[in-house]
Amino acid sequence: MIEAKGLTKVYGEKTAVGGVSFTVQAGRVTGFLGPNGAGKSTTMRMIMGLDTPTAGSVTVNGEPFAKHVAPLREIGALLDAKAVHTSRTAYNHLLAMAATHSIPKSRVREVIEMTGLGEVAKKKVKGFSLGMGQRLGIAAALLGDPQTIILDEPVNGLDPEGVVWVRNLVKYLASEGRTVFLSSHLMSEMALTADHLIVIGRGKIIADAPIAEIITGKGQARTRVRTDQPERLMQLLAGTGVSVEVQERELLEVSGLDPRGIARTALDNQVMVYELTPLQASLEEAYMELTKDEVEYHSHITTGASVPVQAGGK
Amino acid sequence: MSTTTLDRKSMRNSVGPGPAFHRVLNSEFIKFRTLLSTLILLASTALVMVGFAALSAWGTGQFAEQAARDPEAAAAIAAQGGDIAVTIPTSGIAFAQLILGSLGVLLMSSEFTTGMARSTFAAVPKRLSPFLAKLIVVMVSAFLLTAVSTFIAGLVSLPIVDNYDLKLDLSSSQSVKLLLVNSIYVAAVAAIGMALGTIVRNSAGGIMSLVGLFFVAPIAFQLIPGDFFVEARKYLPGNTINPMTAVEHVPDTLEVWQAALVLGAWVVVPVALAMVLLKKRDV
Repeated sequence: MIEAKGLTKVYGEKTAVGGVSFTVQAGRVTGFLGPNGAGKSTTMRMIMGLDTPTAGSVTVNGEPFAKHVAPLREIGALLDAKAVHTSRTAYNHLLAMAATHSIPKSRVREVIEMTGLGEVAKKKVKGFSLGMGQRLGIAAALLGDPQTIILDEPVNGLDPEGVVWVRNLVKYLASEGRTVFLSSHLMSEMALTADHLIVIGRGKIIADAPIAEIITGKGQARTRVRTDQPERLMQLLAGTGVSVEVQERELLEVSGLDPRGIARTALDNQVMVYELTPLQASLEEAYMELTKDEVEYHSHITTGASVPVQAGGK
Repeated sequence: MSTTTLDRKSMRNSVGPGPAFHRVLNSEFIKFRTLLSTLILLASTALVMVGFAALSAWGTGQFAEQAARDPEAAAAIAAQGGDIAVTIPTSGIAFAQLILGSLGVLLMSSEFTTGMARSTFAAVPKRLSPFLAKLIVVMVSAFLLTAVSTFIAGLVSLPIVDNYDLKLDLSSSQSVKLLLVNSIYVAAVAAIGMALGTIVRNSAGGIMSLVGLFFVAPIAFQLIPGDFFVEARKYLPGNTINPMTAVEHVPDTLEVWQAALVLGAWVVVPVALAMVLLKKRDV
């Protein structure tokens, strides 16, 4: 279990993490989602005792990380795929880390096999692809068979097979009762992997809830309605908290009222409805909704760039 | 599944050994010996030491031969107890200190430039432990390498000086003293290098500060007029080696014990500063 209380990190003028409090529970995959520069990595470095918080505290299984008797056996972390001296071989890198805790060579070989690095283990890390670097980082995180696993952007640079492998691995680790804390800026990946989601934007926690709740709760549930009397139905539905959008001539999108309520209104007023479809907001939409005010770097599409696209479309 | 979960939790903190100092020391030694660049620097130090000793043996022999034809020079050599060959094995020491001092810088600065530091300090969050382990590895290897290279350099020089009828006794007390003091001195320079690498966290910057301290400062101090710099020059770390190895005290230089204290201070102060900064700063 990871517990952060009022965790703050200020670099000069800039507040990277502004007093966040959250709890990461054991036995499930907790996703840490936020745009680039939101404070995910800084938070994770503070958990690992690499950065000292400006204020607040964070504990792992009840104690600050540095206070643990055998840190590598308590928490394994992939903070950065490049936390390796690239002139050393993967095997020797893991061997040196293992030596600090008297972890046997057999375990080093085990994590190498587990992460599929068998063929390149005796090669210098210099020649590794980003994906292989990620696998080496995950191998290092698993070395001490820790109860708590922290992975910062583990699927970055992995091929599709690797992405699926990480997804299954973290789910398996959580099913063994371990605490798994996983960061990403890819909402689609989180939707498939995480059970619980902590969303961060500009150093503040925006949401902390089970993933299902975030999808349904934040993204407004909408209903697609087809009717041959759209104007009349719009008048009938117009009321407190209900908004109706005209999509096509006979197609409306209603939010603020569930399908049953819409059907009841239509039936009571003899309006024929020939489609009623509940629309589930995707996590992606929910995420955009959540972080739209918190994104640090907005992309701006120039009008010039969009002209050829339109021309091509027609 | 729920029982295994419970077992895991109850097993916490007793699952196995933690980073005791001897294990961290072993880890740092593995890191030391698994880098090709380290091995190359060690090998080149040995090569330079032996090569310079051979050159120096030849040069000293030539000089002695000329002196033999000049009675006055011969008398001067005789006055020194015929000991002109004793410094031959350590004649490459200026280069050994530069290479091994740079190695000290690199072993620490590369932790930060490669990002390895994040792995190191995530495994051992009490940061002084890996620092001290690395310091021991650096100093012991610098000492041993200098001692062994000096001895081999002596062996290689023997037949050369013999050729010129010069006397070189590797087991004489002055030879043993030169070997030990020079090895300790190089170990101290390597420690200063490692401290600089920890403070500046940058390979080029660390090596340049080392070169500045050992090669530029002595020359600069000599060029700047004024008694202060003449006096201060004696206290530079690179100028402590001659007083410590002299057969007899040379006027206007530090006493042996003073030189040893000054060198000690040059090690302790940067190392202490490096330790404070390492503890305080973010990795």
